[in-house]
Amino acid sequence: MSASVPSRWLRIGVLVGAATLALAACSGSPTPGEPSSSGTTGAETTPSEATGQPTEITFSYLWSGVEAESLEKIIAEFNASQDAIVVKGVSNPDTTAQLTAMSSSEGPFDISDHFGASVGAYASKGILAPLDEFIEADGYDLSDFIPSVLDQMSYDGHYYSMPIAVHTQMLMYNNTLLAEAGLSGPPETTEEWADYIAELTKVDTDGRITQLGYGNVEIDTDFTTLGFVFGGNWYDEAGNPTPDDPGNVDGLQFYVDNVPAKYGASAVTTFQSGFGELASAQNPFYTGQLATIIEGAWEINLINQYAPDLDYGVAPLPYPSDHPELAGTTSVSSSTLFIPANSQHKQEAWEFMKYLLANDAMGEFTHATSNLPARMSLAGDPIYEDLGDAFGVWLDSLSSPNVRAMASAPAAAQYGEDRALAFEAIANQTTTPSDGLANLAETVKQYG
Amino acid sequence: MGDAPRSAAGGSSRQRLEPPAVPAARPTTRPGQRRARRRRLRLGLAFASPWILGFGVFIVAPIALSAYYSFTDFNIFQQPAWVGTDNFTTMFRDDRFWHAAYNTVYLTVVGVPLSLFLALVIAMVLNLPIRGQPVYRAIVYLPSIVPMVVAVYVWRWLLNAQYGYVNDVLRRVGLPQPLWLDDPAWTKPAILVIGFWMVGGTSIIYLAALKNVPKELYEAATIDGAGFFAKFRHVTWPTISPITLFQVVMGVIGSLQIFAQPYLLAQKGFNSAVGGPADSMLTLGTYIFQNAFAQFRMGYASAIAWVLFLVTMAIAAVILVSSRRWVHYDD
Repeated sequence: MSASVPSRWLRIGVLVGAATLALAACSGSPTPGEPSSSGTTGAETTPSEATGQPTEITFSYLWSGVEAESLEKIIAEFNASQDAIVVKGVSNPDTTAQLTAMSSSEGPFDISDHFGASVGAYASKGILAPLDEFIEADGYDLSDFIPSVLDQMSYDGHYYSMPIAVHTQMLMYNNTLLAEAGLSGPPETTEEWADYIAELTKVDTDGRITQLGYGNVEIDTDFTTLGFVFGGNWYDEAGNPTPDDPGNVDGLQFYVDNVPAKYGASAVTTFQSGFGELASAQNPFYTGQLATIIEGAWEINLINQYAPDLDYGVAPLPYPSDHPELAGTTSVSSSTLFIPANSQHKQEAWEFMKYLLANDAMGEFTHATSNLPARMSLAGDPIYEDLGDAFGVWLDSLSSPNVRAMASAPAAAQYGEDRALAFEAIANQTTTPSDGLANLAETVKQYG
Repeated sequence: MGDAPRSAAGGSSRQRLEPPAVPAARPTTRPGQRRARRRRLRLGLAFASPWILGFGVFIVAPIALSAYYSFTDFNIFQQPAWVGTDNFTTMFRDDRFWHAAYNTVYLTVVGVPLSLFLALVIAMVLNLPIRGQPVYRAIVYLPSIVPMVVAVYVWRWLLNAQYGYVNDVLRRVGLPQPLWLDDPAWTKPAILVIGFWMVGGTSIIYLAALKNVPKELYEAATIDGAGFFAKFRHVTWPTISPITLFQVVMGVIGSLQIFAQPYLLAQKGFNSAVGGPADSMLTLGTYIFQNAFAQFRMGYASAIAWVLFLVTMAIAAVILVSSRRWVHYDD
């Protein structure tokens, strides 16, 4: 048997396969900032007009549990409200699967959700369809959205996402533990908070921590918020990372001075390693392992579900007493809706997005999930009254002049990973806040 | 190779059973023979075409494309832009790459020899003539059939600093209780411990090799006055050395590619891709994943993957070349 014949066949097969894959990989990749043709003409070319059948679009969302139940109810209401579009909801909390799906030339879903801080990273890579043409064509009013959150939705002068829910961070405290320690009411200043942490921390005879006055449940959210509390910022006006801002250093120093430096980094790590899942009855705040935490309004919903008997309170984050102008400081993030660049039904997806962003649907969703609404006009809506006074504290925070947001920069993911490394080293006292953040400032210079 | 003569013999016996086939072929002209050969070739290729196509599309093409991407700035979603050797020069200046390389080499250099040693010791124990061996062998092999993700999640709790059984036992016997998953000095040993727990598969292969050591050699060694260690050194070890070569090569390749254990042990939440405390569990496999799917730097990830592949090839080649000195074959 001649060896040349099969090898030629193999070569041809390999070339054909490689060319096919190369073509598949290279097709349908829009240039950032430029909507693909289907983005503007989707409504004109959809099968619905040719067949008279409603167009089916897929809403793949990262939410699950209560959030998913609420969304499915809204989807059913939308489907019943008109005949042109049928929305199919799919809960898929896997962000990697979400991204993989968006890398093909024809997307398997038409609308999805993510977070405000990711807008720049996604938009700069051409993953998201720009919404400007839809907004302009419909004269869609953006003035009701919370301005700091709306800023996160744009990249390079174009809107790529819209916020459906907003999250601010407040101080939550366990009333029972405070009463046991002879404390009444939450701390107002960071100095008072430091005293509270000392009063509320318990160590057994073996030196093991059994209760911590304050513990970070999500280190990145906690530490970035502490930076804001002390007047810091993690990005400058131009969107460049500024990790070594003096306020950030002060914020992390506050944590180090009052937790690991007092009780030992190793003891704190051991204690924290026993924390249960946050969305469970074993959440360390629900079990009384942590007396104060920094968290968002979704906790109301989770506590009702997992720890209905927990006696807790919510207060604005403490401020440094020598900087009263920083009172009411909080960090804000958002849950966003977007249309992937590879959606085949962008116009229909936009129609559904508008429905989700309207007061009725947004109110229904944020009420069911105890999230803050992204529309200012919903802030005083009676729909939220049954969520109690605690929800009012989070709602009030939206009107603070000191609401701070992380910029939605292209290198957000990389910055997040590098921050996590630096924060962990600082929390473990393998470096100091000033050195750790100075090193981080050097690292971020390498971002493209 | 040993099968080839038997196949040939089989072919000749088939000819003997079907004598008419041979004279029937003789009148065929040379062009006719060529046509028949081509027809057989086309038929063979047609039958093999699904595999050839699959091999080309799903194996060769991705490998070729990843080689191309390693010279590009590619974020999966947009056209790759040719950047020459930038990804490779960036890699050599990237501290996290070197940290990942160090962790990977640590797990390989420490983990592979210890795993093989442990597996061999277990195999020798399982080879002893005592009652109930089949049960013991099954018990040793059991962890190997536990899915990796399940095993790692169970070990996350076993190694938990606060509530883990491992530290509980250490506490009871008065030993220090390390922060297995939180102290950078202990995270890699934690990964190795899980690997040792799953060493049953390697042990069973060694056990099969031990069963094949000719008893006459032990008898001869005994007559010569050899003790246990002398018999192991001069009989057992040389005889099972081909199996050891196989285990070393497979172990090194597997260890250099390690992903699931560090990824799952370091994971802080669903979908997070982190390297654990102080990046102490960041391996080249997890770093490739981080770059490709968390930071969308597919070009850079491809470059790291190719470096890992070439280094793995080189190490495997060195092991194979060196095996001429320490592997003993019967023939």
